[in-house]
Amino acid sequence: MNMNKKVTFTALFLIISLIFTMTSGFVFPVSAQKKQVTLTAIVAEPKDRWDLLINTALQKLKQKHPDLDIKIDYRVLPYDATRTQILTAMAGKTPIDLISADQIWLGEFAQGGFLTDLSDRAKTWGRQSDWYQTNWDGGKYNGKVYGIWAWTDTRSMWYWKDLLNKAGVNPESLQTWDGYLAGSKALSNALKGQGIQSMHLVGASHSPDMWYPYLWMLGGEILKQKSGHPTKGTYWYPAFNSTQGVKALGFLKQQVDAGIKPQVNHFWGQEFADRKFAVMLEGSWLLGTFPRDQWPTINQKVGMLPVFPTPDKNTKSTTMMGGWILSIPQTSQNKDLAWELLTTMVDPGVLTPMLQKEGYLPTQKPIGEGPYASKLNASIPYYKEMVSMIQTAHSRPNIPEYPQIADNIKQAIDEVYYGMKDPKQALNDAAAKSAKALGW
Amino acid sequence: MSNILAKAEPYLFLTPAFAILLIFLIFPLFWNIYISFHNVSFITILKNWEYSGWTNFVDLFNDPNFYTSLKTTVLFVAGSVALQFTIGMLMAVLLNQKVRAAGILRAIFIIPWTISAVIAAFSFKFIFDYNFGILNYIFQQIGLQPVGWLSDPNIVIWSLVIANMWYGTPFTLLFITAGLLSINPSIYEAAVIDGATKFRSFLHITLPLLKPFIVINLILITMWSVNFFDLQLVMTGGGPLFASTTASLYMYRQAFEFGLLSRGAAAGLILIIINISVAFVYLKLLKR
Repeated sequence: MNMNKKVTFTALFLIISLIFTMTSGFVFPVSAQKKQVTLTAIVAEPKDRWDLLINTALQKLKQKHPDLDIKIDYRVLPYDATRTQILTAMAGKTPIDLISADQIWLGEFAQGGFLTDLSDRAKTWGRQSDWYQTNWDGGKYNGKVYGIWAWTDTRSMWYWKDLLNKAGVNPESLQTWDGYLAGSKALSNALKGQGIQSMHLVGASHSPDMWYPYLWMLGGEILKQKSGHPTKGTYWYPAFNSTQGVKALGFLKQQVDAGIKPQVNHFWGQEFADRKFAVMLEGSWLLGTFPRDQWPTINQKVGMLPVFPTPDKNTKSTTMMGGWILSIPQTSQNKDLAWELLTTMVDPGVLTPMLQKEGYLPTQKPIGEGPYASKLNASIPYYKEMVSMIQTAHSRPNIPEYPQIADNIKQAIDEVYYGMKDPKQALNDAAAKSAKALGW
Repeated sequence: MSNILAKAEPYLFLTPAFAILLIFLIFPLFWNIYISFHNVSFITILKNWEYSGWTNFVDLFNDPNFYTSLKTTVLFVAGSVALQFTIGMLMAVLLNQKVRAAGILRAIFIIPWTISAVIAAFSFKFIFDYNFGILNYIFQQIGLQPVGWLSDPNIVIWSLVIANMWYGTPFTLLFITAGLLSINPSIYEAAVIDGATKFRSFLHITLPLLKPFIVINLILITMWSVNFFDLQLVMTGGGPLFASTTASLYMYRQAFEFGLLSRGAAAGLILIIINISVAFVYLKLLKR
């Protein structure tokens, strides 16, 4: 090929390319005119759940808005970093359209003016009655809706069937405080020298979470409203140092006295799956520490009682609920679309496959009890039992001062664990510090 | 005109460095002081910050946990500095002898310092774990009772000191090695001719010539130990019973866990004062 031919060929190629480019714009005018919208989100690990949930919701959103080219840019952060990052971003007025907030963070975020009031949108949406009351209320602060509680978890009693058999312990007997302590003794004797401990007792930073159920089942409360606050009129006041609280903490002391060692490191159920403990009071996420292919037959090896031990058979057990709330920050520049995304994400048709895959519990009745329940019941071991706990479960206060109050309670529990104070003294001291933190 | 330019030239050259110092060091310091005298928390950060005078400092000194954290800091820093310095110095001197593969050994010993503190903390968390930890596993294999390395309030701080020793010693090794290499070998040769033993040479030549390196090393490892909180945060979260909450971790928790930014800033200022005091004492020693 000589030089002239090369030039002619190149020129022809360029002209054809130019014509093609111009006409393609003409042929597909809609795609070129689509308005691009990128929604940003900060969510907490693990990532898999968000990949599944957000991608499914995004497809639905795109179908609803063919005129928009919607993208979702979401950052998945470790639990501890999520709160700080969200706060830093919002304090710096960085535009974010959606966040996942732990239920206990809501008050702090709302009080700080970081969250959008969703009350009117929620009213128009009309799905409030689909939520379990506690779960709906968990998304509210000072009577306003600031978030939608997407899924939850409950804590219950897990045990290895063979180990209990070996020790001659009837699982049903573990449902009362006396039975639990007797069971611990029997298990310790039977498992001596095997590197397996009888019962797990939390001594980590979240130890208050595992004490609250005992407080609640006795009729106690963490905080109660009281009038006469120096600046707020009626405000929260510590109530956890009541007689119920003292009795509840007394049971933890009884466990320590019986030789159960508080565990300062927590591996979120992995220690149970590794057979380091025969019995563990742990969240529903414990199932996730077992390989998915073991789930269909897990009930042959592992048993579950949907209870925390009670002082006697007449006392009704209860548990604590955690979980994640979806909220729209004040800084969002696409609040309408973010709300659409949020509501799509919690739509039972979108949410159920993720719950099924991850083994999380629903906050909505249509998923917990309705048509979707059979699907989850068939794939998540002990699903029905875990869901049965939601109705009577409690959640923690979501006020801004809660982290300090929880830290004071944690200190009280430690003081009892290490024999420095008796339960009454420890709780009274914690209550005095908490009252100060609450501005009394 | 040219005279003025000539006079201004050094200051112009200093401007970029001074600007960096101003933006990244002096401004944050004064900002920290400003915050510590106002009522700033996560819930008021977007609102008006009220002047609060000395309230944050008073609250701090009324909190018994703050005193506990100061005591814990003293133990943590003293233990860490003593071990890091002694072991690092010993290793540097030994590797400065005619040791085969000294360079490779130095490179190996420096590895801990190149690892992220968080990763080191997670590793030690597993090593010291009561149930899963390798240490207790070994103890049990040789018939000893497992130890609550991280769960016993009387032991936990020493577990952290061991972890910090492992993490921080390589810096002393590196720094003192640099000092040793700067000493002219002919001084030792002259001492040998004068009949000095190795120990006397170390005492009368090495140590005095290393003095500036030793003091700077001590200043740095002390300040780093005072400010260090990654290990404590990951390994114990400050527990049990605040037995491993050092002042730096106390500051972090106040600011970022409880959202009390002003109280955290006040604690930070006290940490700065501690650091400056320690550096001052060390520098006084250097001048002697």
